[in-house]
Amino acid sequence: MSAMATDPPSVRRTLTAIAMEPFTRRARAELLYLVVAAPTGIAVPVGAVAFLIIMGFLGPGPAKPENVSFAGLAAGALVLLVLAPRLARRLGSFHRRLTARLLGERVAEPPSFRPGRGVLGRLDARLRDGAGWRAVAYLLLRVPVALLGLYAVEYWGTGLVNLSYPFWWGLFRNHPPDVHLDPVPFLTPLRSHPFHIATYPGTLLVFAAGAASLLVAPWVTRAVVLADRWLIRNLLGPGRLMQRVRDLEQTRAQAVDDSAALLRRLERDLHDGAQARLAALAMNLGLAKEKLGDDGLDQLAQIRELVEAAHQGAKDALGELRDLARGIHPPILDTGLSDALATLAVGSAIPVEVTTEIPSRPTPAIETIAYFCAAELLANAVKHSHANTITIHVAEPNGCLLLVVTDDGVGGADPARGTGLSGLAHRVGTVDGRMDIASPPGGPTRVSIRLPPHA
Amino acid sequence: MRVVIAEDAAMMREGLIRLLADRGHRVCAAVADGEALLTAVAEHGPDVAVVDIRMPPTHTDEGLRAAIDIRRDHPATGVLVFSQYIEPRYAARLLEGGAAKMGYLLKDRVADVAEFTDALVRVAAGGTALDPEVVGLLLRAGRPGLDMLTLREREVLALMAEGRSNAGIAASLCISTGSVEKHVAGIFTKLDLPPSQGDNRRVLAVLHYLRS
Repeated sequence: MSAMATDPPSVRRTLTAIAMEPFTRRARAELLYLVVAAPTGIAVPVGAVAFLIIMGFLGPGPAKPENVSFAGLAAGALVLLVLAPRLARRLGSFHRRLTARLLGERVAEPPSFRPGRGVLGRLDARLRDGAGWRAVAYLLLRVPVALLGLYAVEYWGTGLVNLSYPFWWGLFRNHPPDVHLDPVPFLTPLRSHPFHIATYPGTLLVFAAGAASLLVAPWVTRAVVLADRWLIRNLLGPGRLMQRVRDLEQTRAQAVDDSAALLRRLERDLHDGAQARLAALAMNLGLAKEKLGDDGLDQLAQIRELVEAAHQGAKDALGELRDLARGIHPPILDTGLSDALATLAVGSAIPVEVTTEIPSRPTPAIETIAYFCAAELLANAVKHSHANTITIHVAEPNGCLLLVVTDDGVGGADPARGTGLSGLAHRVGTVDGRMDIASPPGGPTRVSIRLPPHA
Repeated sequence: MRVVIAEDAAMMREGLIRLLADRGHRVCAAVADGEALLTAVAEHGPDVAVVDIRMPPTHTDEGLRAAIDIRRDHPATGVLVFSQYIEPRYAARLLEGGAAKMGYLLKDRVADVAEFTDALVRVAAGGTALDPEVVGLLLRAGRPGLDMLTLREREVLALMAEGRSNAGIAASLCISTGSVEKHVAGIFTKLDLPPSQGDNRRVLAVLHYLRS
């Protein structure tokens, strides 16, 4: 019963969404994309063929026009072969920009062309330009996609035209009763030959067909756009291997920077903390020693004060060094992530519930990353979330390590603001892990981090 | 003696104030960064400023730059720069304008209170106080003439380069001032240095020799 009670609104919502789909910004952007991208899809092969024909007729050979010059044709083909990858790269970058602008799909650039040395070297490099040839493949495959795209545009066009029939029928068909007029044709994308109507009620049928066509249009458009996007991702991007290399380069650079920053921070902490404390401590002890040296008794109170200060300083320095050492590597982590997280939870200002299901231990590097991620997320939650409870859950689905930190706080965590979360994402990225953040305004916040079982 | 202190670690700053007060010196101001130091020196015209090299905002060489500024703008004020580490490059920059009224010590040296205050007094009086580590670097960079010195003479040379007086050297090596004088004379002859009167001029000669 309860299911029936809740169903109607959701059905209504779905229906409204379907009815409104043609009016969404996304549908408009996709339509615009198909229209703007169509010319290159069709012009390129047409241009290539036209070029070959012209070369065939212009080239040296028998002067009769019906005789095609094979030398010219061959030269044309050669020129195309050399120029194709280069031109295709240009057009490819135009398409990448177009998709980024209109569809919000950002495809990374392929590696830039490396010219060879000398004429032959350059030619060789051009002919072996993998990214260029993939762009050529894209342009060839785009021909059918562009045609399909125009077909999708037809849904919009005929839809809009058909909607207009009932409105102008009266203007042009108000003839005397005995005059017989031809039936009026109308098109739908489903049939190449027009249907015909002869009466006003017929225009209502056309209107309905137009409305149906418009309702379907965004989905046809989207299907074509999705196919095109798939092609762009696979053919205009850097290629899977190059993408991988790029990712690795990026994460390696981040790892190197991170470790340098870490060392710098350690030095600073030591310099400002323990080293300064120990220097002050040594100074106090030195002073006390000298006082004992000259004549102790009447300065006893001062000496006591100095020794007390030195004593306190020694204890503070110890504490600071202990914190620092633990910050470098928490010893409890050696016994396992579960124990370490439990210890972490005990020290938290907001109650933390830790559940772990880790039958097999990941490598120490992964455990360390997971631990510091948990520590950072916990610190973030305590600082910003105003949560009542935080949960840390660690599991091992499909052999990877999954860390999920959830809080029932105010939400709105955004890696774009503040360096904490983006720093975590970098760190996780260095071992090919992934971080997902779900933190709508008003909460709750849920950050899940997936790490491979070994680095 | 009137002293201005620039040190950003509060604990160290308090400790220095206490130490100097205990030794009967007057701390006119204790500040935490280079800019405040320059202001304080301009205001109080102290005999000597004790300056930490690393201070806010960049925690790099604020103190060093302030020290060089003080020497240029307030030649009457001595500057004792101290730092957690000895950087040869910093030492070179400090000594560029001469070694008079200049000191460069490791922070650790404050533990030996007498030596530290002694160095401070020396700098205030126009002398020099170089950390043994700085002198060690200079000696290691070594000129070939140093090979002619006996072990003892090298020790004496090092202490001279630190800026100590004959009495200081004698106390440090547990020998008589007479033998110190003898060693000094020997060093000057062997290295072919012009005989110079007074501790300060002597340091300059030695440093000049070591750095040239």
